[in-house]
Amino acid sequence: MSADVLKPQPGIYLADHRSSGPLLTLLRYRELLRQLVIRDIKLRYKRSVLGFTWTILNPLFAMAIFTMVFSRVFGGGRNYPLYVVTALLGWSLFSVGTTRGMESLVLNGPIIRKVFVPKVIFPVAAITSQVVNFLFSLVPLALFMLVIGAGFGASLLWLPLPLLSLTCFALGLSLILGTFNVFFRDVKYIYEAGVLAWFYATPVFYPPEIIPSKFKFLLHVNPMYALLESLRAPIYLGTAPPLDLFMSGFVISLSTLAIGWVVFHRYEAQFIYHV
Amino acid sequence: MSKGWRLGRASRLLQAPGTEPVARERRSQPPLGPPAVLDVANLSVRLLLHRERTMSIREYAIWALKGRRIEGEEFWPLRDISFVVDPGERIGVIGPNGAGKSTLLKVIAGIIPPSVGRVVVRGRIAPLIELGAGFDQYLTGAENIFLYGSLLGFPQKDLERRFGRIVEFAEMEEFIDVPLMNYSVGMAARLGFAIATDVEPDLLLIDEVFSVGDAAYKTKCEKRIESFRNKGVTIILVSHDLGLIRETCSRSLFLHHGRIVAVGPTAEVVAAYERFSSP
Repeated sequence: MSADVLKPQPGIYLADHRSSGPLLTLLRYRELLRQLVIRDIKLRYKRSVLGFTWTILNPLFAMAIFTMVFSRVFGGGRNYPLYVVTALLGWSLFSVGTTRGMESLVLNGPIIRKVFVPKVIFPVAAITSQVVNFLFSLVPLALFMLVIGAGFGASLLWLPLPLLSLTCFALGLSLILGTFNVFFRDVKYIYEAGVLAWFYATPVFYPPEIIPSKFKFLLHVNPMYALLESLRAPIYLGTAPPLDLFMSGFVISLSTLAIGWVVFHRYEAQFIYHV
Repeated sequence: MSKGWRLGRASRLLQAPGTEPVARERRSQPPLGPPAVLDVANLSVRLLLHRERTMSIREYAIWALKGRRIEGEEFWPLRDISFVVDPGERIGVIGPNGAGKSTLLKVIAGIIPPSVGRVVVRGRIAPLIELGAGFDQYLTGAENIFLYGSLLGFPQKDLERRFGRIVEFAEMEEFIDVPLMNYSVGMAARLGFAIATDVEPDLLLIDEVFSVGDAAYKTKCEKRIESFRNKGVTIILVSHDLGLIRETCSRSLFLHHGRIVAVGPTAEVVAAYERFSSP
């Protein structure tokens, strides 16, 4: 009997017996995706007086703090507030998105155990709601740029590309971390510590030039450097993202997403016994 | 039947790898009457108890270093289950606690993947299992209708159209804009039932949901199930209420330790189960 016992693996097929595959299933559930994102945004500010205004205020506060603390040290003739806020927004999309995406499977365990649902929808929803959040934060950013008299150039049209790249990376990493976190809850705590170290290792609030040359290699192994610099260029420099950085970031993002997608769907069938 | 039903329109075939789609061959055969709504063949679900418990990374590392040798006990919630359900049939599933009845429904609903064998479903499923799973306590009743509805795969437009009917059936008009956490258990169950049953499914999976609400509401739910019955909806009913099974189902399965002990006309299977449980 044991010979024909194989690893559990769901296959979902259409009436004509073509496999509909996980991507198509996800597409069919886009309504649920929308609902999950709406729920996330609605609940985030439930019972708060300022409500959605916090989405606007939060990055401004963070920018103000970093400016007060570091502008003397790292300012060096640049427009430090604008320099720091663009990367902060990107970093927050990444760190909050991956953390929530990683936890989303365990948090939605009751649903996974009781309803048929493409499980990948939970990390996708977590990332999507951070992207929505990012887009909303562009409003205060634009206001701030108006106030300080920064130029609005055509370079801003480049913004969707580095945003897409960053989103793919965050989603890919969420899928990998989320899968491992289902089996080992330690992953969450390790990552929470790790992401903090990662933040300091990435030129978000300091310029890359200050890194001592013997540690410069860190920039090349850290995809977040390429991703954030690509995001920063259209807003802060008013130029297109540097091609080499953007391309290397994009390649890493897509590879991470591909690996995450495969890993996730390989172990997906076992999730129900662990969430 | 609404056009927007995208999900269930496709038949679903769940199968363990290695067992190639038999359904493909089936197609070339000449049709013999309407195709089965549900086709379960050699279905088994296996749990590896050592693997399915949560290990820490350290435990896992030790286990992996030891060559993953420590083979834990196997447990088979379902073993070699085969049966076919034709359109319009009503099947009862009975058995003692832990027999695998709910697991069987969950496999058919696509929640638990089969380890061996396959399950072919042709048509839309309405799973009345764990009603209201996915309700969010902080959202209002109205918001939950859309959340739970989309979780069950209903398109937004459908839900908008059916919103009034759902609210009315749940008798929830005054409370629909109140967060769910202020609902009583019975109210939430009513809402779950109203959302899940406001469809015309091809296959209705029922797992002891009649215990929701007071006597009057219970009757209302039973009426709705009865209307499905009259419309010729295929039903699979898991219950300990043998009277209900006798009344509703033409054919029954008696499960014990994950295996089919008896299958056939309800009267005979229920009799066998009664002999089994009162020695």
